[in-house]
Amino acid sequence: MPAENDTPAGRHISPIRVVRRPVAAAILVCGILAVGAGVTGLALASQTGRPATPVGKPTFAPIPVGKQAPVPLPSVRRVARPVALVIPAIGVSTTLVHLGLTPSGALQVPSSTSVAGWYTGSARPGAIGSAVIAGHIDSVSGPGVFFRLRLLHRGSRVYVRRANGSVAVFEVTAVHTYLKSHFPTEAVYGPEPDAELRLITCGGTFDYATGHYLSNVIAYATLVQ
Amino acid sequence: MNVSRKAAWLTRLVTASALALGVAGLFGAAASAASASTGTGYLRLAHLSPNTPAVDVYLYSFGDSSAMVVLHHVAYGDVSAYESVASGEYTVAMRAAGASASSKPVLSTTIDVVSGDAYTVAGVGPFAGLKLQVLDDRLTTPTHKALVRVIQASMHQTSVTVTAGSKTLGSDLNFTTVTRYKAVNPGTVTVTATGTTEHGSTQYTLAAGTIYTFVVLDDSGHLKVTGLVDSSGANSMPQGGAQTGFGGTAARPGDSLLPWAAAAAAGLLVAGGGLVRLRRRRRPAMHAR
Repeated sequence: MPAENDTPAGRHISPIRVVRRPVAAAILVCGILAVGAGVTGLALASQTGRPATPVGKPTFAPIPVGKQAPVPLPSVRRVARPVALVIPAIGVSTTLVHLGLTPSGALQVPSSTSVAGWYTGSARPGAIGSAVIAGHIDSVSGPGVFFRLRLLHRGSRVYVRRANGSVAVFEVTAVHTYLKSHFPTEAVYGPEPDAELRLITCGGTFDYATGHYLSNVIAYATLVQ
Repeated sequence: MNVSRKAAWLTRLVTASALALGVAGLFGAAASAASASTGTGYLRLAHLSPNTPAVDVYLYSFGDSSAMVVLHHVAYGDVSAYESVASGEYTVAMRAAGASASSKPVLSTTIDVVSGDAYTVAGVGPFAGLKLQVLDDRLTTPTHKALVRVIQASMHQTSVTVTAGSKTLGSDLNFTTVTRYKAVNPGTVTVTATGTTEHGSTQYTLAAGTIYTFVVLDDSGHLKVTGLVDSSGANSMPQGGAQTGFGGTAARPGDSLLPWAAAAAAGLLVAGGGLVRLRRRRRPAMHAR
């Protein structure tokens, strides 16, 4: 097909013409690819090492609307200790080790970056109070068990299996990032009137001088069954 | 496809995307601002009037005629678990057990739930003078201590003293008295209620960081002491944050967005150059042919 016919004003270029200008077309394609690479790089680079910013305020599920409800009496039965944690939304499936305190009084962390741990000074998952589970975001070379913790969002389900085989199901209500210098001790470890879960990992900027991240990412969850 | 049209289409696409991103950003900001203004409080309901028959307890969001929660057949001594509710005003109404939901309540009260606070709404007093009382339930404890308070809900014994081990939680408590919280050492204790002619006791393990309410109830011929967990926290609060990372996935100190931005800019220039070349050199090429 003659190119002149479909470009009466001389302002259009047919695919054939593009083929006949391979150098120009190649330059155009290369340029577009470079733009794509640059934008992708920008997006990826700006994701890591970003400064600590809250990613949401605590919000909570409303209580169910309904005509009938049995009297929900406070659970006085002891729940079994937790042994495993599963979070399908971020591909976490790990056994749980036991964590205490360091000599300086900080929360002990798992010795392996690929397992999470339950703080034995906190509530057992499903009992009244906040059960605290911590895991590493990364090792020196790659992702750890809680690498994607900050990607959890409201409504994500978290499952904790206990020693007697029972499973406590939690629903995420909020995910926050805090500078460690402003760690919300009371919100994480303080008394709660219902059964809650706190998942802790690191985030924010990594300080190469101290070898520690400057922030903690905390996912808040509440028992749903 | 027509190149200028394609360019215009690309321009529109980029503009639309930028607009969409901007709008999404705005909505995100608005959403987080909205959720910042709401929080959650906790409510539980109790029947502590010895000679009042069982009741149905209704919880309404203020101004809403359909109940959020109905607790059926709540009898003397029953205390519900906490319901978490959005902060705001609520109405608690009591009707005789089995009475129609549209019937006039025996009594009702409104309560303003503040975000982060917990309340017990209790039917107290004798049936003849039944009222709904709103108690503030404490949510923080002193370090390494348990907090304990007493609700004296015995009508038979008009003056009751309650002790936890050697510690006195309340002396000569009259019917319907609610004591302040007292800090006690954690451990297993015997909580004893002693009235003028009756008494009762229970063994209870108190944990540090946890808050309890003991309720003194009339039982046949003696007093019954029931322990409730108001809220529970870590028995030892870790200091500061957790060191849960070694930096293997962190941005390097030298990492900068500049190279990527430069690559994108250079790419734009190259692409622009290619486009111009395609268009500008078309006519001479035709003549050559």
